Amino acid sequence: MSLLDVKNLSVRYEPKAHRPLDAVQDVSFSIEPGEFVGLIGESGSGKTTLGTALLRLLQRPGRISGGSITFDGTDITDLSEDELRDLRWRDISTVFQSSMNALNPVTRVEAQFRDVIEQHSNLRGHKVTERIKQLFDMVIIDHKFVSAFPHELSGGMRQRVNLALALALEPKFILLDEPTTGLDVVVQHSILENVRRLQAEQGFAVLFISHDIGTVLDLSDRILVMYAGRIVEEQPAGALLAQPLHPYSKGLLGSYGDPRAETVRITYVPGRPPDLSLPIVGCSFAPRCPERVARCAEVDPPIVPLGAGRAACIVAEAQQREGGSGEHGEPRRTFEGPQFVKTAEESTQALRGDVVLSVENVSKVFTRRRGLAVQRTEAVTDASFVLRKGEVTALVGQSGSGKSTLARMITGVDSPTSGRIVFHGPKGDQEVSGFRGRSLRDYRSDVQMVFQDPYSSINPAKRIGYILARPLANYHGLRGDALRERVKELLETVALTPSERFVNRYGYELSGGQRQRVVIAKALAVEPEIIVADEPISSLDVSIRAEILELLNDLVQSKDVGILYITHDLLSARMLADEVIVLNNGKVVEQGQTLKVIRDPSDAYTRKLIDAIPNPF
Amino acid sequence: MTTTPLNDVMAEGDPAQTSNVEQVPDVERPDRWWQVVWSSRKARIGIVIVAAYVLVAVFAPLVAPHDPLDSSFTPLAGASGENWLGTTTDGRDIASQLIYGSRISLLVGLFGGLLATMIALVIGMISGYAEGTIVDDILSFITNVALVIPTLPLIITLVAYSEVRGVWLIVGVIAITSWAGGARAKRAQIITLRNRDFVTAAKFSGEGTMRIVFREIMPNMSSLVAAAFVGSATGAIGAEAGLAVLGLGDSQSVSWGTMLYQANAQGAITQGLWLWVFVPGLVLAILMTGMAFINFGVDLLSNPHLREDA
Repeated sequence: MSLLDVKNLSVRYEPKAHRPLDAVQDVSFSIEPGEFVGLIGESGSGKTTLGTALLRLLQRPGRISGGSITFDGTDITDLSEDELRDLRWRDISTVFQSSMNALNPVTRVEAQFRDVIEQHSNLRGHKVTERIKQLFDMVIIDHKFVSAFPHELSGGMRQRVNLALALALEPKFILLDEPTTGLDVVVQHSILENVRRLQAEQGFAVLFISHDIGTVLDLSDRILVMYAGRIVEEQPAGALLAQPLHPYSKGLLGSYGDPRAETVRITYVPGRPPDLSLPIVGCSFAPRCPERVARCAEVDPPIVPLGAGRAACIVAEAQQREGGSGEHGEPRRTFEGPQFVKTAEESTQALRGDVVLSVENVSKVFTRRRGLAVQRTEAVTDASFVLRKGEVTALVGQSGSGKSTLARMITGVDSPTSGRIVFHGPKGDQEVSGFRGRSLRDYRSDVQMVFQDPYSSINPAKRIGYILARPLANYHGLRGDALRERVKELLETVALTPSERFVNRYGYELSGGQRQRVVIAKALAVEPEIIVADEPISSLDVSIRAEILELLNDLVQSKDVGILYITHDLLSARMLADEVIVLNNGKVVEQGQTLKVIRDPSDAYTRKLIDAIPNPF
Repeated sequence: MTTTPLNDVMAEGDPAQTSNVEQVPDVERPDRWWQVVWSSRKARIGIVIVAAYVLVAVFAPLVAPHDPLDSSFTPLAGASGENWLGTTTDGRDIASQLIYGSRISLLVGLFGGLLATMIALVIGMISGYAEGTIVDDILSFITNVALVIPTLPLIITLVAYSEVRGVWLIVGVIAITSWAGGARAKRAQIITLRNRDFVTAAKFSGEGTMRIVFREIMPNMSSLVAAAFVGSATGAIGAEAGLAVLGLGDSQSVSWGTMLYQANAQGAITQGLWLWVFVPGLVLAILMTGMAFINFGVDLLSNPHLREDA
């Protein structure tokens, strides 16, 4: 008997003011004891709703509208809250997506463990403390943090504490909902290693929800692919990698590549998931699918046993049936959609442009007065590098490595403590420091920024046309028709066509990728010499990251602008950057041509970063 | 660099369908603000009440049976077809006074509320945006002073010493004594908004400080501004009536406050003239309740979570 058995589960949201929508539709799967199952899909595919439903934590206006959840022989679909309380944490526990906030900020960590342990077991007094220390050992955290408050822990440690807390009662099943989103690669890697090791030792079952197919493939035994509220494919991890059945799985796989390879090609799935509150005829993926046939628009594909698992795709099914010789052709392993290719040879042509900004021995020290003592924090130490016209320089490092401080100095927000940053602009050389008021404003006509989160960098109260018009009016003095024309031109540049459809939209009406295009268009508006892009793709879905990388890449080619690309993701650095600068604790530990650095890292820290990339291949 | 959009593959599909992929989806635009406000039953009641008052005030000459200052009626008459709510001791029609009185109350509410909200906005927004600088220190100091000064004695002193006693004086006095709380709220709100990425983005677009504060940030807190306005307007109506009751109103015009003042001065209660005392108080209370109800609806704008329960 399976540990968790989900049959025809549906979840329906019925908000008062809007159309109801079925976020999860007719989902069936099971998880065996001790199994590690991955659940992937882009945002809005219903994975978190499914997870929440499994824990019976759905809140109004959402409810389970059909099907059943059987856990360990008990039907928990309609179990009362009181009966659930015994089950929760003892048998089913979870690490939440926003677990940064999952610990109570005003209670010491120890008390939070004690609560859980004393509620559900007979351990009391120092036996509980022993158990907590044991748990801390499991997740490799020093015992001294047992009595710490959550804010005294780093993000990675907090996440480990959450994991330890989830394991406190040796549950049979743990739901991990994007437990490492928002943490940087190295920390993410070590936490997931930890999970995998503990899972092997203790034999609990895991449902691991993520949009990052690399980590899911790396960790899971079996993978469920979710799209538009349904499971569209289920296969063992190896089989999914070797022979994906559903085109959407192929799309997700295609968005991932090995940065060390000679030629890296990453594909993206254009468009976005369907609006589930509207009726969908045929396959919900058909509008985005390169393999679709006429029948896809009519038939809603059922999920049928196929390959090493199940899939809901009539094309894949026909291909299997015909054995590759029929009208539907051979099964393909790759996503035949738009792709972005970077070859080794292109990477070697780097470092030839004119220097547009040079950073010379720059250090930045933050001092903070604490009573009588003055605390010094060295954020950046003796960093030197240059940005070139028409090239992309990637600044790679963990969080806290000083990337953002450097970006702030380059954009003129902060001044270096020592050393100098020189901008070789059209008006001659200019030292970037101590800009205020007017001069800062002028400098920004040469240096623009693309932000990490396109959801917060577009003013929700303004139309796209207004947002793009402002820099043009401010720096180029454009008015009236000329201004409107230029705004349309900008939208066309970033492939938001036809532009008339976008000028009067608000940011929230666009998808994440489209929003990021708007932000890029805004940065381009003033025709800057340098664009600082601060993790411009990290908050986007994996399936659409490549399209933004491709856009940035085209812009570098056509506009001759220098881009400082800040990231912790070496794959995207490989795809986009000509030169890589690796930053560790404020020091530049390695710099050079991207491919050379990634393939043949000379510094131990660079190697650590590269090893942290999940590698299912 | 080669970027391969793989046109050949995309061409296989139906072209109309392909071009659909990247289009702007049919996202419902979020409900317009009036829809949200109207969706709350309390707000609907409030809006109907206030609308009725506004209509009465605007069309007072048509609605009212007599001139409110006409003292040609029999003093102390009871309610009748001629004098709906009876007459005062000096022979004026109470119903007409009541109807004309709504003009003053609504006028003071509207302009007192507007002025107070505007002062609060300017001071609160600027000090919040400049948090931690000397500008903020000065503006916060002024706000704090305005908060701790006892309002009523100040109003009384200001009105008592002023030469003229028109409606506009009352409006001004109420506004400058009641903006401080609102300014505090705006300051707190803008501090949470000013570090958003879109504000930094606006700086990179070369926007000036005033434009960032009032054109970029303020539209994002319009629901709070609206709530503050309704709140200040309610307060201003109450304050005007209070001043008039104390005899500090404009003696040339009729308002509910002056009616109450007259009633009190003539010993209406001891004479058993209940209508004269209760009716102005009642209409005042209903108006202020109606405005408070509207604010329930405005609350839904700033906190979408409330909408599910509304």
